[in-house]
Amino acid sequence: MRDDGHLPPGLERATELLRDESHVRPEWRAAVMASLDRDDPASSIRPVRRWSMRPTAAIAAGVLCAIAGGALTFAATRWSQPARATLAAVDTGRISRVRFTLVAAKAARVSIVGDFNQWNPTTLPMRRSTDGQTWEIEVPLASGRYTYAFFVDGRVARDSAAAESPNDGFGTPSSVILVRGGGT
Amino acid sequence: MVTPLAPRGYHAAEMTDAELARLAKGGDRSAFAMLVDRHAGACLRYATRMLGSREDAEEAAQDAFWRAHRAIDRFDETASFRTWLMQILINRCRTAMLHRKRRTARVVLDEQAIANAGTPSRAGDVELRDALVRALAQIDAGQREAFLLKHVELLSYEEMSAATGVGISALKMRVQRACNHLQILLAEDRHA
Repeated sequence: MRDDGHLPPGLERATELLRDESHVRPEWRAAVMASLDRDDPASSIRPVRRWSMRPTAAIAAGVLCAIAGGALTFAATRWSQPARATLAAVDTGRISRVRFTLVAAKAARVSIVGDFNQWNPTTLPMRRSTDGQTWEIEVPLASGRYTYAFFVDGRVARDSAAAESPNDGFGTPSSVILVRGGGT
Repeated sequence: MVTPLAPRGYHAAEMTDAELARLAKGGDRSAFAMLVDRHAGACLRYATRMLGSREDAEEAAQDAFWRAHRAIDRFDETASFRTWLMQILINRCRTAMLHRKRRTARVVLDEQAIANAGTPSRAGDVELRDALVRALAQIDAGQREAFLLKHVELLSYEEMSAATGVGISALKMRVQRACNHLQILLAEDRHA
């Protein structure tokens, strides 16, 4: 395998040309710095954020967060008993506490990974419930759209019953949650 | 363009990323601005080639800096700021790609980025660069990610693994496959 960092000449030259591209527009830089104090990175470059365009946003004013999925089936073949996951969200203002629940009785260690923790499996370990069947965690999330998955005994498992379970092109199973903060 | 830092009795330009991050943790906006200036070009370059659109790249990179600023207190100063920032950016690009799947065809060649790039020093360089951009858009996203990090951003495999969460062996395989695919696509492009 060629992993010494050397490229064939034709590819090397083309790649060098890509390395030369590092232009930063002053307007963009100013927008970055201006965004730092905001509660979301809403861009002055592109003021309409993708979640603000969703029609269901209208029903979220002042109230609750969306519940992504009701009952979810976790179909990892490692467990003879299918694991099921549910999540619920409670709006506490701009931040919503989203409860993730996964039924995986035979799992030894479960955590949740997603955009909200940079897919780091060590930062949000889930707790086994008293019935011994269920793993739970509550995660404070700002309004927005998050991709997430469960990290079960070293394996990534998505919510296979989620309404949206897009393939990210990397082969990583994942699910999507939409969190609607009430704002005020 | 780089906005000069306000005089603060230190020379931010001479500081390491870790030193600037420590100041940023204390609320020093100028220190964070210096980190932006140091890394924005690479972030935009990576995101542009990953997403195939300068507009999407600017949004993803801005999002990444916003998240980095919000999470700066959790940054481990013994680690590489660049790798940490790239980890955030990579995830933003992955998320952006999920949204992109709902859209129609992409404009792969980004004219603004090309216009802003340095003048090619050799005849045929423009065509060569454009051919590679087109080829990158055709290969698997995981391979494109690995190739860009390794050969354009010049990260080590250890840094790539830390930033992507992918094992080193898998990354090496992705880079190798990317190189093979790109060579084939470039050859096809030459003969088209």
